Amino acid sequence: MQKLSKNSLLFSILIVLLAAIWTTITAYAGGETTGGHIPAPQKGFLAPDIPLTTLDGQSARLNDLRGNAVILNFWASWCPPCRAEMPALQQVHNQFQGKGLVVLAMHATSQDTIDAAVRFLSNNNLSLPVSYDFDGIAIEKYKVRALPTTFFIDAEGIIQDISVGGPMSEAFLTAQALKLTGEKP
Amino acid sequence: MLPILQLGPLSIQTPGLLLLLGLWLGLMISERTARKLGNDPAVLYNLAFLMIIVGALGARLAYVLRYPDAFAGSWLSVFTFSPTMLDTPTGLLIAVLAGLIFLQRKQLPFWHTLDILTGAFATLAVAIGLAHLASGDAFGAPANLPWSISLWGEQRHPSQIYETLLAVTIFVLLRPWTSPSGPAGNRFLTFCALTAGSVIFLDAFRGDSILIAGRFHQNQVIGTLVLAASLFLRRRLAAPPAAPAAADSVGEDIQ
Repeated sequence: MQKLSKNSLLFSILIVLLAAIWTTITAYAGGETTGGHIPAPQKGFLAPDIPLTTLDGQSARLNDLRGNAVILNFWASWCPPCRAEMPALQQVHNQFQGKGLVVLAMHATSQDTIDAAVRFLSNNNLSLPVSYDFDGIAIEKYKVRALPTTFFIDAEGIIQDISVGGPMSEAFLTAQALKLTGEKP
Repeated sequence: MLPILQLGPLSIQTPGLLLLLGLWLGLMISERTARKLGNDPAVLYNLAFLMIIVGALGARLAYVLRYPDAFAGSWLSVFTFSPTMLDTPTGLLIAVLAGLIFLQRKQLPFWHTLDILTGAFATLAVAIGLAHLASGDAFGAPANLPWSISLWGEQRHPSQIYETLLAVTIFVLLRPWTSPSGPAGNRFLTFCALTAGSVIFLDAFRGDSILIAGRFHQNQVIGTLVLAASLFLRRRLAAPPAAPAAADSVGEDIQ
């Protein structure tokens, strides 16, 4: 019985030792983490660069906003939770404008009409920045499969969080904005 | 990857659905084990629901305390039915504490109850692997292998598939639908040791590992500690109880 106990102790020690050796070997193999250098619509990755187009013909690119945190919200006028959370997005835009955060509403124009979008924005007195995804490039690059989908991107262009579905509350958006801008709560 | 399941007008988040299914199936397996051992399965369900509710409330409270200014203008938002405003690690800790208090108050045998719940834990581990596969989380390190998958801009180890297969293997090895053998705690600690072992092995193929000192995978370090603790406790519980001290021979003579 004592021999069995001693054998099982040795076996346990051997297993833990093997685990420690494997941990060490694979540590020196190193470098597997992404480091945020690859563009992909996933937490921890660089936010894919996309064109930003307004109705009056102005164009820019998402990378031009580097240095500012960005809340990138994909929406459509026919989507009830998108409509419900727009006032909250407007509030956060008002609160954080000029404080290192850009709230950008990306309209899924390939799945909606411009008239409906403009009508909705006008009827609700919404003045936050809106970009129009005419060709569906942004939807494709960000692999948006449901609306609304919101990406929270820090000032270095790294996606820190993703929210699928809604409506997001103003409290949640404010908390995310505080986190992204590094402002003390 | 299938992060969203489209059922007509409904968009269901697949990872969440898989976790719920895993929890449901796992509790059913634990219920079966409890019945076999003559335990009341209602107590198990009460424990599980208590932990879920208290954990969720704790997670929400911790989130609110972290960002009080965000709620200053709208305190009613604290009660919003939303899965986003949660501090998950704190919620899990509070859930575990609530579970321990419940066990103590109901005077349930600690190790015996954990053995019964191992079925639920093992099923949940499989569900977590599948949820990772659906969401694209816990992705693999870049690798050009015949079985690599294309994910997040690179060919990678299909680490979510490795994770699921290992979890299924552990589930089958443990046979949680049968009565546990050995001393109380044996099944649970075996599950802990096997799961820790699989984490230690698998994390080498992950592409999103948190590194300690820029080199060591955090999950592997924690896994090694959990493995050592599980094996140690398992041996401790399996050790025969100490023999009672021999009667005092002087005392017997006087009598």
